[in-house]
Amino acid sequence: MATEKQLFQQINSTKNIMKITSSMKMVSAAKLKGDENRLYAARPFNKWATTITGPSTPMENEVEFANIPDNALIVPLTSDKGLCGGINSFISRGVRTMCGVLDGSGKKSSVVVVGDKGRSQMRRMVGDKLVSAATEVVTPYSFDLSAAITAEVLAAGNDYSCIVILHNKFVNSATYIQEYKVLMPMASTGDDEAMVEYEFEPDIKNEVLEDLGEYLLCSELHHALMEAAASEQSARMAAMENATKNAGEMVDKLTLQYNRARQARITTELIEIISGASAIEG
Amino acid sequence: MFAARLSSRVARPMAQRLMSEAAAPAASGNLVINFNLPHETIYDSKEVASVIIPGLAGEYGVTAGHSAIVSQMKAGVLQILHTDGGDAEKYFVPGGFALSHENSVTDITCPEAVKLDDLDAATITSNFADAKKEFDSAEEGSEAKAGAQIDMEVNRAMAFALGTTIA
Repeated sequence: MATEKQLFQQINSTKNIMKITSSMKMVSAAKLKGDENRLYAARPFNKWATTITGPSTPMENEVEFANIPDNALIVPLTSDKGLCGGINSFISRGVRTMCGVLDGSGKKSSVVVVGDKGRSQMRRMVGDKLVSAATEVVTPYSFDLSAAITAEVLAAGNDYSCIVILHNKFVNSATYIQEYKVLMPMASTGDDEAMVEYEFEPDIKNEVLEDLGEYLLCSELHHALMEAAASEQSARMAAMENATKNAGEMVDKLTLQYNRARQARITTELIEIISGASAIEG
Repeated sequence: MFAARLSSRVARPMAQRLMSEAAAPAASGNLVINFNLPHETIYDSKEVASVIIPGLAGEYGVTAGHSAIVSQMKAGVLQILHTDGGDAEKYFVPGGFALSHENSVTDITCPEAVKLDDLDAATITSNFADAKKEFDSAEEGSEAKAGAQIDMEVNRAMAFALGTTIA
């Protein structure tokens, strides 16, 4: 049983933690607003890319991972900061499962990770596949940053068969889901020629397609980053709200214990005085 | 193997066509444009009469029923003619892509765009001078030199859009 003084200190420190978590919650709520606005601009911006690449796939069906071609470059988007619930663990676990499925079917894969939290988890899980990492990225995310990350991803090598972007999608401030999108390179000739029904202006399809491909990757990454940022902020808000609630419950419980201990002390003291007095009288 | 390749060849354009059809073609026979920036939604599924696009290989106009085309844009003026007539709405774009789909939907995507009226001739001239200075001092073949050259070209295009010429 903790002493009265220990309990008192514990109550105080829990109260301080509660103050921190509740202010973190408020900060996240304010930041979420900005991230949501940026996300709602990024979604229509990326619409043109979605008409070419199609919608993202939710990560619930692991069997579908087997459809990813050999020698894929997996780009998981995670956050630099923690205290935001399970968002990074979900992504890391997804990458581990994906790599596992690909390994199982004898396919090679590599990982370029965005975010410090993802990097440390990825190094543990799929360290042999980790090519490079972009960490300590500046917040709030901007198109410049998306372009820089695109350059980083492209610098990781052009000989990959496809790029898989893996991220959290913001549904509403209480829900987010994990999604991935496979971006195939756009060939300008051959059987897999991309965008056959389109004319190209200027009439050098291979060059325009190369530029378009890089820009498309940037656009997709931008959208994905915005989804990830909004998810991170909403997850942090929820996590901090829970933490504040838990701290409150703990303070109540400790206060009860503290009062009980104090009452016990007072009772003991009283008994001592009374029995002392009665001894003198007797 | 052959069947698999064939199916992917057929399936992808088909999926693309299905998808672009899903992107709501114009009911009234007008051109529909999506003109959005990363940080701002300018026009999302907006019906217009036509747009004039500054393509790398020359300016061209797009109206409803235009054939499918992918065009790289150069720094220049993008004009939007609205359905209610009137003067064209002019935007300066630094480059990007314009994709006209078969269903009279045109996607215009670029990292930045400003209304032509918001451009300031004096600032452009001084920015051009700065870029030129940097271009002259930068090492031959370096990234800084290429960057300065792009700066110069964009500023020159902006000045041109305003009807002035800077050398």
